Amino acid sequence: MLSKIEHLATSTRRYFLGHAGLGVGGMALASLMQQPSLARQDSGSQDSVTGRLKDPKAKSVIYLHMAGSPSQIDLFENKPALAKYHGEACPQEYLEGKRFAFIKGVPKMLGPLFDYQKRGESGQWISELLPHFSKVVDKTCVIRSVNTDQFNHSPAQLLLHTGQPRLGYPSMGSWVTYGLGSENKNLPGFVVLVSGGKTPSAGKSLWGSGFLPTVYQGVQCRTEGDPVLYLSNPEGITRKTRRHTLDAINDLNRERFHQVGDVETLTRISQYELAYRMQTAVPEVMDLAKENQETLELYGAMPGFQSAAEKADDPRPLYKGDDPTFANNCLLARRLVEQGVRFVQLYDWGWDHHGSSPGESCDETLPIKCRQIDRAISGLLVDLERRGLLDSTLVVWGGEFGRTPMMQNNVRSDLRKGFIGRDHHPHAYTMWMAGGGIQPGLAYGQTDEIGYYIAENPVNVRDLQATILHQIGLDPHRFSFPFQGLDNRLIGPTDEGRVLHDILA
Amino acid sequence: MIRDSFSLLFFIIAMAILPQLTQSQEVSFQRDIRPLLAKNCFACHGPDQEAREADLRLDLRKGAVSQEGRSAAIVAGNPDESELVIRLREKDPDVKMPPPETGHALSAEQIALIELWIRSGAEYSEHWSQIPPELSKLPEVSNPAWPKNPIDHFVMAQWDRRNMSGSTPADRETLIRRLSLDLTGLPPTPEAVDRFVDDPSPNAYETLVDRLLESDRFGEHWARMWLDLARYSDTKGYEKDNPREIWRYRDWVIQAFNQDLPFDQFTIEQIAGDLLEDPTSDQQLATAFHRNTMTNDEGGTDNEEFRVLAVKDRVDTTLQVWMGLTMGCAKCHTHKYDPIQHREYYEFYALFNQTADMDRSDDEPRAATPTRSQQKELLTLENSIQSLETAYRQETDVLKVAREAWIQELAKSSVWNKLVPQTMETHSETQLEARPDHSILAKGVAADKETYIVTYDDLPEGEFDALRLEALTDPSIQGGGPGRNDRDPNFVLSEIQIDVYTGENREGVRIPIQSAQADFSQSDWPVKNAFDGDQKTGWAISPKKGQPHVAVFRFGVPFQPKKDQRLKITLIQNYGNRLVLGRFRISLAKGTEQVLTPDPQDLGDLARLPENQRTVEQREQLAEAFRRQWPATADQLSQLEGLREKKDRLVKSIPRTPVMKELGSSQNRETRIHLRGNFLQPGEVVQPGILGAFHDFPDGAPMNRLGVAQWLVAAENPLTARVAVNRIWAQLFGRGLVETEEDFGVQGTLPSHPELLDWLAVRYQGEMGWSTKSLCKTIVMSSTYQQSSKTTPRQQQVDPENRWWTRAPRFRLPAETIRDQALQVAGLLSRKIGGPSVMPPQPEGIWQTTYSTLKWKTSEGQDRHRRALYTYWRRTSPYPSMLTFDAGSREVCVIRRIRTNTPLQALVTLNDPVYIEAAAGLAKQMIGNDNAKHNGLDYGFRRVLARTPNEREMSRLEDLLNTSIQDFKNHPEQATALLKAGKVDASTIEDPARLAALMLVSNVLLNLDETLTRN
Repeated sequence: MLSKIEHLATSTRRYFLGHAGLGVGGMALASLMQQPSLARQDSGSQDSVTGRLKDPKAKSVIYLHMAGSPSQIDLFENKPALAKYHGEACPQEYLEGKRFAFIKGVPKMLGPLFDYQKRGESGQWISELLPHFSKVVDKTCVIRSVNTDQFNHSPAQLLLHTGQPRLGYPSMGSWVTYGLGSENKNLPGFVVLVSGGKTPSAGKSLWGSGFLPTVYQGVQCRTEGDPVLYLSNPEGITRKTRRHTLDAINDLNRERFHQVGDVETLTRISQYELAYRMQTAVPEVMDLAKENQETLELYGAMPGFQSAAEKADDPRPLYKGDDPTFANNCLLARRLVEQGVRFVQLYDWGWDHHGSSPGESCDETLPIKCRQIDRAISGLLVDLERRGLLDSTLVVWGGEFGRTPMMQNNVRSDLRKGFIGRDHHPHAYTMWMAGGGIQPGLAYGQTDEIGYYIAENPVNVRDLQATILHQIGLDPHRFSFPFQGLDNRLIGPTDEGRVLHDILA
Repeated sequence: MIRDSFSLLFFIIAMAILPQLTQSQEVSFQRDIRPLLAKNCFACHGPDQEAREADLRLDLRKGAVSQEGRSAAIVAGNPDESELVIRLREKDPDVKMPPPETGHALSAEQIALIELWIRSGAEYSEHWSQIPPELSKLPEVSNPAWPKNPIDHFVMAQWDRRNMSGSTPADRETLIRRLSLDLTGLPPTPEAVDRFVDDPSPNAYETLVDRLLESDRFGEHWARMWLDLARYSDTKGYEKDNPREIWRYRDWVIQAFNQDLPFDQFTIEQIAGDLLEDPTSDQQLATAFHRNTMTNDEGGTDNEEFRVLAVKDRVDTTLQVWMGLTMGCAKCHTHKYDPIQHREYYEFYALFNQTADMDRSDDEPRAATPTRSQQKELLTLENSIQSLETAYRQETDVLKVAREAWIQELAKSSVWNKLVPQTMETHSETQLEARPDHSILAKGVAADKETYIVTYDDLPEGEFDALRLEALTDPSIQGGGPGRNDRDPNFVLSEIQIDVYTGENREGVRIPIQSAQADFSQSDWPVKNAFDGDQKTGWAISPKKGQPHVAVFRFGVPFQPKKDQRLKITLIQNYGNRLVLGRFRISLAKGTEQVLTPDPQDLGDLARLPENQRTVEQREQLAEAFRRQWPATADQLSQLEGLREKKDRLVKSIPRTPVMKELGSSQNRETRIHLRGNFLQPGEVVQPGILGAFHDFPDGAPMNRLGVAQWLVAAENPLTARVAVNRIWAQLFGRGLVETEEDFGVQGTLPSHPELLDWLAVRYQGEMGWSTKSLCKTIVMSSTYQQSSKTTPRQQQVDPENRWWTRAPRFRLPAETIRDQALQVAGLLSRKIGGPSVMPPQPEGIWQTTYSTLKWKTSEGQDRHRRALYTYWRRTSPYPSMLTFDAGSREVCVIRRIRTNTPLQALVTLNDPVYIEAAAGLAKQMIGNDNAKHNGLDYGFRRVLARTPNEREMSRLEDLLNTSIQDFKNHPEQATALLKAGKVDASTIEDPARLAALMLVSNVLLNLDETLTRN
């Protein structure tokens, strides 16, 4: 009986070798070793993984996370009643027994700050800040009843992406690549793209592999320097020279294998070959200049653009509506998915609009951030659809929680321009999903008249996790990994998370 | 009993799935049955009462055979009547067990196994790891000449049972590299290899082992392993992930391993060093082990929430590190597999719930934790200060005569005339009140900023050189004075203004101040600031708070008050934060220079008293004042002050490390069960206690962390020694005797060699006295360890995973060792031990963390090339190449790193500038050891792999070298570029093409599978 860990040693290999049939290493093994037991060990799919589903709807996930959490009240929640209370003191019932991050005392109610119109055939209220998204709303399922139980950024992001509000657990992309492997043997299966000048609050742990082998951690592809760390050869080593050195390494390794007979040596040879192929495959997929002008405009992307915000210590004052970094990442996401990358995770920083300065306010910063993403997200959906990829690609958009229908009572912000903000709101917020077997044109879930509590069809972040896993082909309840005595799952130890069958196509 | 079941176990090849079961084969409950029941049944029919279905528990025999209210699940001897078997065989999904929706199912073979077990009596036995280890008799072996020590008996006995055989001993080149990497984490130098290979002594191997165990590198290497368990990191985690100064703990671990601190003491000091009697600073430092938990500095968080998480982490880490118990379940409900109840978890938690730390951003409580050299320096300084102080106070005859003369002179000198206040005003609500001694006391609410204006009539007659301001303390001043801020009783005198006026018109004439002296001034706040016309500067006295101070302001021109003249003194105190005077007094004086020194005690008055009327204190005041100005003693004093200042600076530079500190019984926290693990849902109150399924608390042990530590290392503890020896074994063999190093419970794997594990555990806590070095030595001295790692086809067939140690294991080196090795063979590695963590080069833009100003500031000089364990470890953004080689982020305790083999690792060792620099270093080493035969290739190869290359290897390398030299000659710009990437200045190199080509060869050597692997 192989233990789980021993299985991992072989399955981690397969992850990079591609899990369909014999990978390069497998073939090398088979031809060199002629050992039936070894061939069996290395040729199967990841048989230690339980909980795979047949015929999944989605092959890939593109997850667009707006780090800091946008205001659903100003984007998706048209609340005339809230507008009526605008400026009045918040009723006690909404404050008693609640833990807030920053609100103290009795705050004032804050109505939607922007105009709303009904959009699409589904007739959903979308604010004027998202004109492009308004045109593609019928491709999406907007969920206005998402809730979480964490009200600080770092724990809430961790809960959403790793299933636990603390560090040390595998992220969704790690779970998915652990469960399903990669479709492309020259690219990592879990790629992370970051914009907005900062990594999100919980840092790289958001794409860490926790207790899963580190091979499943997200690979951050960077738009500056090497797209993958240490991908380029050092100065003075050409591709031809690299080939020479690799040939020498492989020859010497083979010589050693014949002396010692450890199959791990053969795996090493194949991994060095894969590294060599990645050296061309990754820059190729990361090169936006390969896209035509029409596509670039569809997203609002600009190849080679370097945002000043990406280098600044504090990017907030540098936010400009025409910054194409996020748009570039959306286009990269499509290119990666097209190449069979399993999970593409985007983080865009800069959505934490408390109103403590004009760089982080609902009235001034939110419109800028919306201009940065609006065309890009609609372009992504249109582009995926016309390439026939939308059906097999699950796109998810949202923050880690919502924002309050009350104004955050900052010291100097009595509805002063540039200082209007909202605090964290875990009880109800909006996300949307599209493609990957999700019912398009659906408005799901409702909140009460002021958008404080959920009124209908609550969706916990656990349900989101369960639904994402289900769509990609993993049974959220059975798919687990043993650690510290528990069969750990993305949806946590209890069975609260459920697949949202109501929103499936 | 346990030994019996284990010996039965060996009749069956454990890896097989028992294709045909016959009556003659024995079934082991431990090995065969409990794992099946645990995996498939215990979740609903196990220890957890809350989750228990049908009131049936199968983890205890009593429950399984009970007929209370139903037919028995197990009827011993009769599987067909056992409800368990009936349900397992059932086809109807509504009746079948386990229910299909659980995803669990038993194969026909597994059901047959259970039937067999029931037929043979359905005997249960306690889980092996709960029974204390015992020494068993050394088994007979087929080749008594082979075993070098008992380890080999146990290993060979298994081979004999399985008809296996071991491997030949490894050659000396392999052995020295293996030993050096295993014990010190560094490869041997070619010179060391030669010495060992040529050593004719029969004890050559043991000599080598001893040398490596005594090397300081040993502690560094083994600390690396322990720091994973301690979740050591240089930052606090979560959103801000701010820095934490805790590197002294890392150095403590290194030192503990180097000094071979016995593991029981190592345990006690880390868990409860602070609770030992009169703990040393090192023992307090050791408790930083549990201050490596994360704290959340994010704005708007609930500190209690994260304090609770930290305490739970301490509980989980303690039980996991020392006893291999997993606590994931028991936080929320009773453990589903192991005998740990929900309530017991919180009883154990209560023992850890009494420390003073509480997710504070300043990481308090912290303690001064001087390094060895700081301790030494401090002691030297304190001794010098003490002897100098004695000398300073020595009463010699010469001194006595001189002092008497000085007092006489002093008595003749002028008198401080204390002025009597007339009017007193403030710029605030504060009231000033005159005291009988003519001092002025501030009363009422203290203002942030303040100006006092006091006028004086009836000025004394005569000519005055100076004005004295005394800043006085008073019992009525909260915080001790002389300032009014009760938290910081400093004051800042921004400006003092002295005006002379007549009549009622207070717009008088300003008396210019020429110079001033004070008995003490805060650094950067000298008394001259009080008359520089700049209200942003001033005179202040921190840190000498809580005592009176005095300043004497000398006039440029002597002041001789006329009859009707009055004086107005304005004291401007504009610093803010209530740093204002609480009590003060103004005096005037005339006379000699000597009188103008600060004189808070009115020495002139004392000198004028007849000697027999002076009190002891007054005599000492005079004596001290004398010593301060008498050349011989004044000289000593200035030396003393220099030393004291040096000591202050030293004390300030001593790192303050977060430590464990008990609240004290009066402040103890009440502990309640957290329902479903949620601290916002408190259940009933629990009292501190240990886990009931294990041995009792040691006699007389206190019911606190110290008691826990003693309980952990008690002789009766069935797990601590086993877990510890298994961990050491796993480090030396790549895998533990219990493969699941982190789980010795029901769900963990069974030991492959139970008697060997127990033999090591008993010896470790017994004869070896918990000496980790002795344990390491015992293991590496065995024949088992010294085998060759070559795999024969037969071994590949009968022992494919090397479960029975038929050969030495090969496994990839840990992340840190790979880097250290590269720097070492390049001749770059710094040998410096300890100190603050360093920041070797890493790619730009790795640290872009929200709301934190922490910067990666690349270290200079030898700190670029320190051993990897000194690299600054940031939880949210660990050093990238280390992460790629499977090091964790140190957020929580990680018992075992899972080794992977990926292309990203290849990219690191091929392209990371660190490895290019190492390649350049290695290339230079080859040139420096260039023999005619092999162009230094042989030497370079031996530096990396500690062995001589064979002919094929050598010719392949020569091939690469010659082609590359030619290529670089054709493209000299590539050679120059590569040298530059290796931090070599090409213009200083005679033959750049050759050096560049050797760099390529080095790059190849550093990337060989053999290089990355321990053989």
